[in-house]
Amino acid sequence: MLFSSIGFLFRFLPIFMIIYLIAPAKYRNFVLLIGSLVFYGVGEPYFVLLLIASVLINYGLSRYMFWEPKSPQNNRKLKAVKRRKRALILACVFDFGTLFVFKYWDFVAENVNGVAGSRWLPILALALPLGISFYTFQMVSYQLDCYWGKVPKQAGLLAYANYICMFPQLIVGPILRYSEVADRMAERRIRVRDLENGLKLFAAGLGIKVLLADRISTLWNTIMTAGPGNLHITAAWMGALAYSFQIYFDFWGYSVMAMGLGKMLGFRIPRNFDDPYTSRSISEFWRRWHITLGSWFRDYIYIPLGGNRKGSGRTICNLFVVWALTGLWHGADWNFVLWGLGFFLLISLEKKTYGNWMERSRVLCHIYTLLIIPATWVIFAISDMGQLTAYLGNMVGIYAGRVMVGTEQVIRYLKNYGILLIMCVIFITPFPRKWYHRYKDRWFTVLFLFAIFWWSVYEIVVGSNNPFLYFRF
Amino acid sequence: MIKQKMTKWLENVYNCPYLILIMVSSVVAMLSFDEIGIRVMNHIMTQDRTVSVVGDIVKAEEHQTQGEVPVIVEEIQDTGIQDALNQNVVSENLQDELQNAGERKEETDGIENINELNIEIEKSETLEKQEELVKGTTKFLPYTPLEIESRYYSDAGKIALTTEYPYTLENDSYFNDAAFLGDSRTLGIYDYVGLDGADFFCDNGMTIFKLLKDDGVTEQGTGQKVDLKKVLQERHYGKIYIMLGMNELGYGNTTMYLQEYMSVLKQIREWQPEATIFIMANLHISREKNNMATEFNNININDKNVACARLANGTDIFYLDSNPMFTDNEGFLLSELTFDGVHLYAKHYDKWRQFLMEHGVERGDSAAAAVPPVEETMISDTDAVGAVESMEGVQAVDAAPAEGTQ
Repeated sequence: MLFSSIGFLFRFLPIFMIIYLIAPAKYRNFVLLIGSLVFYGVGEPYFVLLLIASVLINYGLSRYMFWEPKSPQNNRKLKAVKRRKRALILACVFDFGTLFVFKYWDFVAENVNGVAGSRWLPILALALPLGISFYTFQMVSYQLDCYWGKVPKQAGLLAYANYICMFPQLIVGPILRYSEVADRMAERRIRVRDLENGLKLFAAGLGIKVLLADRISTLWNTIMTAGPGNLHITAAWMGALAYSFQIYFDFWGYSVMAMGLGKMLGFRIPRNFDDPYTSRSISEFWRRWHITLGSWFRDYIYIPLGGNRKGSGRTICNLFVVWALTGLWHGADWNFVLWGLGFFLLISLEKKTYGNWMERSRVLCHIYTLLIIPATWVIFAISDMGQLTAYLGNMVGIYAGRVMVGTEQVIRYLKNYGILLIMCVIFITPFPRKWYHRYKDRWFTVLFLFAIFWWSVYEIVVGSNNPFLYFRF
Repeated sequence: MIKQKMTKWLENVYNCPYLILIMVSSVVAMLSFDEIGIRVMNHIMTQDRTVSVVGDIVKAEEHQTQGEVPVIVEEIQDTGIQDALNQNVVSENLQDELQNAGERKEETDGIENINELNIEIEKSETLEKQEELVKGTTKFLPYTPLEIESRYYSDAGKIALTTEYPYTLENDSYFNDAAFLGDSRTLGIYDYVGLDGADFFCDNGMTIFKLLKDDGVTEQGTGQKVDLKKVLQERHYGKIYIMLGMNELGYGNTTMYLQEYMSVLKQIREWQPEATIFIMANLHISREKNNMATEFNNININDKNVACARLANGTDIFYLDSNPMFTDNEGFLLSELTFDGVHLYAKHYDKWRQFLMEHGVERGDSAAAAVPPVEETMISDTDAVGAVESMEGVQAVDAAPAEGTQ
């Protein structure tokens, strides 16, 4: 179920909230779990079983990790270490194995078959379970935290299941750590103010998603409809900008909605975006874009590999692994690998060469990021290598044949999308957010968000609303 | 104690104006609007459907289109009969429509009129034959139609082919007195075919119903909204190309579309008596985009194409089907030619350009002179009455889209 769907807004959410609020506090976790499974099950009636199985298996393995045998043995401590390691390996094999089969098998099989020149490996063509990339990472994070002793006390099954399945963050993140929800999972009070502020936040997120992301997405589609290769440099950049806006507002809107819903349920869901497009370097961009994913890779891959403590050669190597995996996490295709490795290259270069030098000029830094980021999104957006090179060529003025989308079309697009583009530019700055935090209780904000909510609902009903971009992960 | 609790509660309520606003308005909205209230289950289904169209997984059964592969060529040599046949089909449908609308009596008169006129057409046709004019024929390939349960369309059971005619190969200057009327695909022709001499009146989302309305159409090149009625009265065109039907897929039904098309053609004919009119087929959509659960599919597009192809008379109205250049053998738009499954990539419009060049019609002065004036008047007369009928028809069924577009 989409957050920006009538079924969610006017059926699931009100019914769920009523039951959730009238339920006695000790049953709320149970209500939340059932509600979340219904939420997931409506869209994925079969994969909800996979989700339940994954939760049970992971929970069992974490129990095994904590299990203390009663009988006194001489080398008990050693055995405990072995057992914990065994449990961790089993959990990782299961979690990443499932993710691999559903998400990466076909990609690997196609490439192996391509190299071998025969059909060695079968193509499974499995549908991707919704949110599997997100919940797999949360499950692994819990296992590793248990293994490293960061989870002091074993969670109850209900608390663990809710940590994974809680509907605000189940399908498109943020990727939570257990420590972030543990105390609220045990006990939480829902105040009327939380409901009020959560709903406001939700409406703001809905507006970002429906009124900015979905509308600007048609500009990118229009330009892609003309086709890469024959785009004038201005048109190519306009398309890249449109896509950059679309992917940010789509994902940010969703994250804000998740934060709002979390608040309404009595949780605190962390911020996933911190005005990423105002960053002054690519490294900074990744500290502010999809924060929970970046910190996952940092804490569970980069630092265990040695981080930057084992010499510069090893650091580069670690960065390479992290960025290749980040690319692959976003999708099973070569353009995603390329995209990830592009960041590896840029971040390494920033670290080793021009990073310090650039910091001298703020303006230069902003120009640099604002030129690089749209180009990386183009690599992210186009999987077909021929089209990708054609598009990137257009962005630097290399055309494959006649320029077909030229000044006249660009002027027309500007006419049609000008106001929306200005709105997008305003919303990548920190000002709307600051304004919201400052005036969120004032009557004009209340009326404004009220209008935003119903305008979004109108757009959802009238327009054919496209599903979240991140749904393919 | 109770008083204290009450004050606390009231205070809470006072502190959450937004929650209350949203809750109250939601209840009101759910009670007043079907879209978010009672019929919400349908909408949940629609949402899921949308996901499956845009996403990667499209269910296999949604892929069938075009029914079975056509077997026999139904050849209709005599366009007079064909016109008559078409008129009959139209009038049958018209009758259905109007029975529903409850204005039967008036209409039966109309149908009789049409039938009389058909006889007249046939007569004029025979007259014409005697003078041995070059006349195109529009052929239809039949196939076994699918059962369609939709208020928007049915399976036409045939495919309309480009009007057969000894077309001439033209060059750019041929289009200097041409006008193109259409939707986003025509905008694509303007953008990427590069017929600089021609005038283009097109907008995203344009429909045959909106074409001549006061809201106007954008004249590409100037970017101004113009009233097409005025333009067609003031300027003189030798060729008029029309391609409309995509945005009508989920509006009204095919009969209404045909009626509106007829009345638009009649209007244009009145203002532009010498223009050759080309009805261009609506391009099919790709396998990925084709969705049998909605009205957005090739069977519906084909239904619209067959409907407007019926209006081609082979003398001054021609039907041009560009689909064979861009579709596979099941009629799906080839997915390598398109990003969104609906519009061609810019570079593939060259093919379309070639197609337009190869389908030139030269109705020289001699040919125009050879056309007996009787025939001219006959046709415009039939059109006129037919159009009056259809206008009434449209008015009568006007109530239908109002409830249909809910």
